[in-house]
Amino acid sequence: MSIALSIKDVHVTLGQFEVLRGVSLDAEPGTFVTLLGASGSGKTTLLNVIAGLQQLDSGHVLFDGANVERRPPRKRRVGVVFQSYALFPHMSVGENVAFPLRAARRPAAERRRVVQEMLDLVDLGGMIDRAPASLSGGQRQRVALARALASDPAILLLDEPMAALDKQLRERMQVEIKRIQQQVGITTVAVTHDQAEAMTMSDLVAIMHEGQLVQVDSPENLYRRPVDEYVASFLGEANLFPADRHGPLPVDSGAPATGTAVVRPEDLVVLDAGQLGDRWHVRGVVRLLSFQGSRFRLEVTTPAGRSVVCSLPPHTDAGALLPGSEVTLGCADPDRVHVIHPAAVGEQLKLAA
Amino acid sequence: MTDSPLRRSLGWYRLPILVVALVTSLLFYVPFLVVVATSWTETSYIIFPPDGFSLQSYSGVLNDWEWMDAFKVSLRVAGLGTVISVALGTLGALALTRLRSRTARSWVRTLFIVPMAIPPVAYAVGLYSVSLRAEALQDNLALLVLGEALLAVPYVFVMVSSGLSQADPALRPVASTLGAAWPMVIWRVDLPMIVGHMLAGAVFAFAVIFDEVVLSVFLTPIGVKTLPLQMLTASQEELSPQLTAASTLVSMLAVALLGGYSLFSNRRAARARRLSRKAATA
Repeated sequence: MSIALSIKDVHVTLGQFEVLRGVSLDAEPGTFVTLLGASGSGKTTLLNVIAGLQQLDSGHVLFDGANVERRPPRKRRVGVVFQSYALFPHMSVGENVAFPLRAARRPAAERRRVVQEMLDLVDLGGMIDRAPASLSGGQRQRVALARALASDPAILLLDEPMAALDKQLRERMQVEIKRIQQQVGITTVAVTHDQAEAMTMSDLVAIMHEGQLVQVDSPENLYRRPVDEYVASFLGEANLFPADRHGPLPVDSGAPATGTAVVRPEDLVVLDAGQLGDRWHVRGVVRLLSFQGSRFRLEVTTPAGRSVVCSLPPHTDAGALLPGSEVTLGCADPDRVHVIHPAAVGEQLKLAA
Repeated sequence: MTDSPLRRSLGWYRLPILVVALVTSLLFYVPFLVVVATSWTETSYIIFPPDGFSLQSYSGVLNDWEWMDAFKVSLRVAGLGTVISVALGTLGALALTRLRSRTARSWVRTLFIVPMAIPPVAYAVGLYSVSLRAEALQDNLALLVLGEALLAVPYVFVMVSSGLSQADPALRPVASTLGAAWPMVIWRVDLPMIVGHMLAGAVFAFAVIFDEVVLSVFLTPIGVKTLPLQMLTASQEELSPQLTAASTLVSMLAVALLGGYSLFSNRRAARARRLSRKAATA
């Protein structure tokens, strides 16, 4: 039984510092939302606000339309997985998972049944009597997840769930957590600074920057249509060029720009002299060419010193692109160039509000 | 051991340092050994080296109702005082973790530790003048027990605080999000993690109270003596082998108590190490 989450104009000040400056967010029941941002952007504070562990200066938190900001954490029906997992070290795995059921005074038989069910869900059915200290990082994380889900919470909160895992395990657990979330169908809010993680797991990604949500959208829309330069360069690599309403302007021409064109490295191609015509293009000298397995990565410097990054298919003829040689780059498909208009940002914000 | 980090870091001057360390420890142990040795003399006065070997002064102490009464009084005072100081010190340490303000935390911490630094005489005189005003506190050990307990609270407080600070700070928030109200958080999350530290605090508190003499001088009712007070009085009358025998017995009790505790905690540590090693190989 999951809920719709709604956050309205939340402000939080810690000491002298305004950590959250008017944050609003809406999520349908069963949505997986990720708060993505650099450290210090306020994403963990926002998670604590939802959990009830952080007091608000002003604003509202609604679960299914009901105000909960005065409810203490233990009455909010939230399941939280902390960054450290925070398993009780003196209890076995089974006792850890039984803790929320004990807090809810459920009878022993039901506790045993639910604990087994939860441990089966996270594939740790045989570990019920083990001590947390004897588990690996990935197993501890799954115990924490089972414990958070045991009391049938309305919403699941994950604080940097992968931070303590090594890279390979991290990728496996991203898929695993997504599977469990979909199986349970629970509204979930996760915090991370890892963009790949955010894109793998989420239905909605909320980009946080200096205490505000810059853009909340599906991973694909964030990548294809960022609202501003911060989102464009935070999520994946981006080449930013001055532009007007028709598209990118001739590079280094000094023509008056009304916006910024976002050109992703994989949308650039190397052009022959014959292909130029009146197409938009950028000329420069190859600084670096590196082979990365599935792609070539090409770094080009324009005469004015602008750096352009280009990602080319692996069968590209590398001989013509050695460092020092001159190249001309153009867009493979002008329709894939996204132009950010500062005016449009204001309009989008109005739409969101 | 030939190339231990200590040896290397000390360099050429390690020899004089070792000599100083040895002399210092001799200064501590030699008088103690003298006391133990004089207790088995056959004479009725203290002499070193002892003259002959007998346990007569031990049986003298153990059969003397004055010594035994004092011993029982001390056991009672130390036992009750320990219970009170462990309760108060633990509550103080738990409260400290629940304070949000940094200034409040450092104030509480300081106020709990400061009693260690106050001269017991000043404290004793203060308590004595309290007892003069309140008749209920005269002719019994209540004020002595309470006073000694308060002297021992800082030891418990420091031990338990260190235990709590080793725990993951997320444990309490996670317990509350899992639906636990505060009594359950204390009972099932905090206390199980600090039993060992409470026990250590109790051992220290007991040792401190059992040895303490200044409060006894001021606060025992007429005719009642704690063991340290009895020893003090005995030493003022005459230096008998009974006094050194009693000292030896008390020292053995203290060594047994602290030694027993440290063996117990070493065993616990070893078990924890084994467990984590097993986990690493599994």
